[in-house]
Amino acid sequence: MTPLRPASLLERRLVIVTGKGGTGKTTVAAALAVAAAGAGRRVLLVEVGRDEQIPSRFAPGGPPAGYTGREVHPGITAMRIDPFEALGEYLALQLGVSAPVALVLRNRAFRQLMEAAPGWRELITLGKVWHLEQMRQSPGRARWDLIVVDAPATGHGVSFLSAPRVVVSALRAGPLRRHAAQVEALIEDPVRTALLPVSLAEELPVRETEQLILKVKSDVGISIDRVVVNAVLARPFPAGLDDLDERLRRLPEAAPLGALPAPGVLAACAAHLRARWELHEHWAKALAASIGLPCVRLPYLPEGVEGPASLARLGAALLGDTPAEAA
Amino acid sequence: MNAAGFAQASLLRPRIAVCVGSGGVGKTTVAAAFALEAARRGRRALVLTIDPARRLADALGVGALGNQPEALPREALAALGVPPEGNLSALMLDMKRTFDDLVERFADTPETRTRILQNPIYQHVSEALAGSIEYSAMEKVYELDAQRAYDLIVVDTPPSQHALDFLEAPQRLVEFLDSRIVHMLIHPAFAAGRLGFRLFQRGARRVLQILERISGIGFLEDVSEFLLAFEGMSEGFRQRASGVRALLLGRETAFVLVAGAGRDSIEQALALRERLAGFGASLTGVLVNRVRVWPGGGSPPDLSGAEGSLGALAAAFAAREGAGFPAQAAARAALDAAAGYAGFVRRDARETAALRGAVEKQGSYWGAIPELPGDVHDLAGLARIAGAIFGSQADSGREAPRAGEPHGRAAPA
Repeated sequence: MTPLRPASLLERRLVIVTGKGGTGKTTVAAALAVAAAGAGRRVLLVEVGRDEQIPSRFAPGGPPAGYTGREVHPGITAMRIDPFEALGEYLALQLGVSAPVALVLRNRAFRQLMEAAPGWRELITLGKVWHLEQMRQSPGRARWDLIVVDAPATGHGVSFLSAPRVVVSALRAGPLRRHAAQVEALIEDPVRTALLPVSLAEELPVRETEQLILKVKSDVGISIDRVVVNAVLARPFPAGLDDLDERLRRLPEAAPLGALPAPGVLAACAAHLRARWELHEHWAKALAASIGLPCVRLPYLPEGVEGPASLARLGAALLGDTPAEAA
Repeated sequence: MNAAGFAQASLLRPRIAVCVGSGGVGKTTVAAAFALEAARRGRRALVLTIDPARRLADALGVGALGNQPEALPREALAALGVPPEGNLSALMLDMKRTFDDLVERFADTPETRTRILQNPIYQHVSEALAGSIEYSAMEKVYELDAQRAYDLIVVDTPPSQHALDFLEAPQRLVEFLDSRIVHMLIHPAFAAGRLGFRLFQRGARRVLQILERISGIGFLEDVSEFLLAFEGMSEGFRQRASGVRALLLGRETAFVLVAGAGRDSIEQALALRERLAGFGASLTGVLVNRVRVWPGGGSPPDLSGAEGSLGALAAAFAAREGAGFPAQAAARAALDAAAGYAGFVRRDARETAALRGAVEKQGSYWGAIPELPGDVHDLAGLARIAGAIFGSQADSGREAPRAGEPHGRAAPA
């Protein structure tokens, strides 16, 4: 398989990042935003959860971005889509007035009813994303070059993405059906939109990613052209010393090693690193083989992901500055 | 609290142990290990999971888990040291069926039952109502606990966005059924006398009518129909929900928080801990899963001065491996590996320090489960995890901790 074209994600208008809890999808979304901003794009970085996580990725304790958004890094505006605010905006647009809508939306009983109602959050959130994609700074020039959405974790992710399609198939006519169809058209347009699943090179996330891809292929027509395998451990020993831990184990435990730990301790460290690395290799390869899509490996950063510098490093790896693994 | 005290408080004394934690921390595995350890200590244990990957079934060596408990084979348990009086069952929650069972139980007439089960709103609500999976899980726990067929039920909580949704779910359902908008929809006359209500009613009706017009769905009609049918049942629901809540917050229930060693996971665990306290739930202990620990325990040594000893290691290699072996390069690689691993151990200790301090200050148990070289995918693996948590003897399977590694013991507080 030919290597990934480094810019293909940046040519999209909308990239939706999803993955099992704990895979680092928020980090990957932020890293993609940093890479895109570094390439001169005006990026909108959207999250949809109840607690904002993105601003603190750029500066610890950074104030929330909220529904109106805030620049968290040069070229990157972060925002959180609150479904009730989006609903209010939508209804106000439909009605042409905002005061009565705001009154009703603030009503506790109405909110209770809506808390219980299924499906509308996903639809209204994607509707807002569509609206943001449509925004123009001047005729012919989009307000945002790239919108990156940190989507709900897989499981919830598929129902999130399939909401417009469900509405389109459930309704015969009406404005809502027309609007949902526009959103669906954006989601399913491979030129404008891509889904970016994030996995770890471990059994459970790999299985879940495989299921996600199957489900997305059957339930949602969104394009996936690569999968991110996050936090992959580097080869622990130089070539030719693959069995270093076993060689260390064969040394006499009483060998005088000065300031070094005893051979048994050195062997245990080496064995642990080797076992975890072999596990990562195994599952990264298993994922690439089973899904038939390119897998981009992001390195495990021993010092942790802290602030824009490490996000930039991951972003560069994400766009293919390091060799990508072909299926 | 030491490991023995933790076992007493989380396995032997309570009837219910709830494992809470954010997604991806290995909660399902820890819950299964708890149930196995309880069985090894002679209790009749059940683990209830919502694990959609069916991985628990695989790990436990049973085919498919249904909505009813399935007992694990006696021989497999005996091989892991489960005495004759102990046993282990597993159950995977079928949310939809649990909800349907509830309707069956509380519907006053067969007609009501049919009306509810066939109502489109119910069909949506029972699958997609915010918190219905959590409600179902807690409902199932309540039902099983009432049967008294188990000494300990270990609950692996759903991976919801907010890991404590299940604590709120029963109350939220009752609040919804009791809410003014529900009454208004059922009995528009009920609210007619009050001005605030009338204003609200006009506003809400208007919005709902707009939603209806935009959507083309008979939303109001379906909702009213559903709520009318539900009205006769709501008293049963209400009692049930308060029973579930009382059980969870009572002395019979122990909460165990499972976290990962990474920064995000620790931050989520700290927040979870505060929310648990806000509910009045008692936190028995915190387990940090997959912590990298230094071989033999303790803090890693400072290896910055070890460069000068590389010659000694190279000499030892040369003596053992002979002339053809790249002894210098191997010595360098061994030091790099040890220094790299020491960095991982320090990082995990650093990231977990805040949580550990908070937990120990509060007097709860703190335990670290060392990262194993491989994945856990069978009963023997669960036994090793249980050994690491409770300090009991892990079996001597082929993936048992190697010499020089900590002997699968949780670091005591």
